[in-house]
Amino acid sequence: MAILEKLYNMTAIQDFIDGPGTILMLVIGALLLYLGIKKKYEPLLLIPIAFGLILANLPGGGMGVVPAEYIQIDEHHYKNLFEIAHDHGIMNFLYYSLIKTGFLPPIIFMGVGALTDFGPMLRNLRLAFFGAAAQIGIFTVLLSAIAFGFTPAEAGSLGIIGGADGPTAIYTTIMLAPHLLGPIAIAAYSYMALVPVIVPLVARKLCSEKELRINMKEMDKLYPPKRKIKNLKAVKIAFPIVLGIVIAIFVPSSVPLLGMLLFGNLIKEVGVTVARLSDAATGSIMNTATIFLGLTVGATMTSEVFLNVQTIMIIVGGFIAFAISIAGGILAVKVYNLFARKKINPLVGATGLSAVPMASRVANEIAIQYDPKNHVLQYCMASNISGVIGSAVAAGVLISFLG
Amino acid sequence: MSDFGFALQLMGIGMITVFIILSLVVLIGNLIIRFVNKYLPEEVSKKVEKIAEQTTALNRKKVAAIVSAVKTVTEGKGHVTKIEKMS
Repeated sequence: MAILEKLYNMTAIQDFIDGPGTILMLVIGALLLYLGIKKKYEPLLLIPIAFGLILANLPGGGMGVVPAEYIQIDEHHYKNLFEIAHDHGIMNFLYYSLIKTGFLPPIIFMGVGALTDFGPMLRNLRLAFFGAAAQIGIFTVLLSAIAFGFTPAEAGSLGIIGGADGPTAIYTTIMLAPHLLGPIAIAAYSYMALVPVIVPLVARKLCSEKELRINMKEMDKLYPPKRKIKNLKAVKIAFPIVLGIVIAIFVPSSVPLLGMLLFGNLIKEVGVTVARLSDAATGSIMNTATIFLGLTVGATMTSEVFLNVQTIMIIVGGFIAFAISIAGGILAVKVYNLFARKKINPLVGATGLSAVPMASRVANEIAIQYDPKNHVLQYCMASNISGVIGSAVAAGVLISFLG
Repeated sequence: MSDFGFALQLMGIGMITVFIILSLVVLIGNLIIRFVNKYLPEEVSKKVEKIAEQTTALNRKKVAAIVSAVKTVTEGKGHVTKIEKMS
């Protein structure tokens, strides 16, 4: 009988019976896997996050990320990585070495930079301003979250979801409120996956048919750009170097993200001579970083941390931040159109948040529905790319003031 | 100052900072374009002009595409000097 009892205690059956939250978390993990695999909602990140969540909630597996207090020895001293691995397992080793140090988001940003083409923005520089207007959702939700009882640091992490940039949201949350990392990462990537739903919803509510029919190419013919770029390659090489230095002077706290983004972009633009570097940045390095980022972020979502009212507020607040950011960009274009002769399609404003290039593709599809000849993709990419810079700068401001 | 007042202030600072940085993006972009246009105009475009002058049947965009393709495939070592239509 004693042997049978020991055998029973060896299994995790009693843990499942004692903690119904564990079962609920496994259901959430399965749901996220379904969304990633079947619905293809950001599968590259959602699948590792969901599996990390499942691993973290398997009783006795020791794969859940433990709170920072467990690895803190005194106010300024922490366990070393060997001690963390020994005491809390490999998932905590990965989390505290790769995530808590803020290492992986900038690495992913390097890959994003190597995949980004600044060309559309350089050809339509004035559209870059709408990437600023679309950051309004970040700060509006920051205010609202404080009113609902979040601390300023937590509210900043919640608001950054409105920037629609996964690595930026994760980096900011690591710096400001690491205990909210799981729900914020899930909200950020879920809403990015829902861009094809959210952008049309907000755009159709705020724009008239006449506005959505504004043809940007016709406008370019009526009011041609003052100057053409005679050597786009040289401009594209010089741009990340100069911009990186200037941003470092004004918002140094955004350098880990933007610096790596611009470095990634530089090696892409230099071309064949460093093709191996850009291949590595966009291929093996980015893919490896994505796997570890997804798994470890998922592993922060244990039932004790995830199942609370704050998580629901983050999911709702994230959606509001997203919607306000889109609305902010659209309204900025509308105000601009009141005074300008050369009108801009408000969809260009709607893509002022990050989520590159999906937001631009969705905006293009909306424009084509109203006028099959109205291809706005290149114009939307201009504000979309500036939105990446804008959200990283906003993150830098939040980290400087709240970190 | 209350948290809400601080957040309101942060909203102002944040939005102004983002706007200033993106203004700098526009300014830097324009300055680089001016500098490059003046001192580093693309050689390829001159070559395209030269080749396009020789060809009447091919339009300039096609010539530019061919020149760029050759440049990419040969890693900058190959140059198009003449384009002839076979039929």
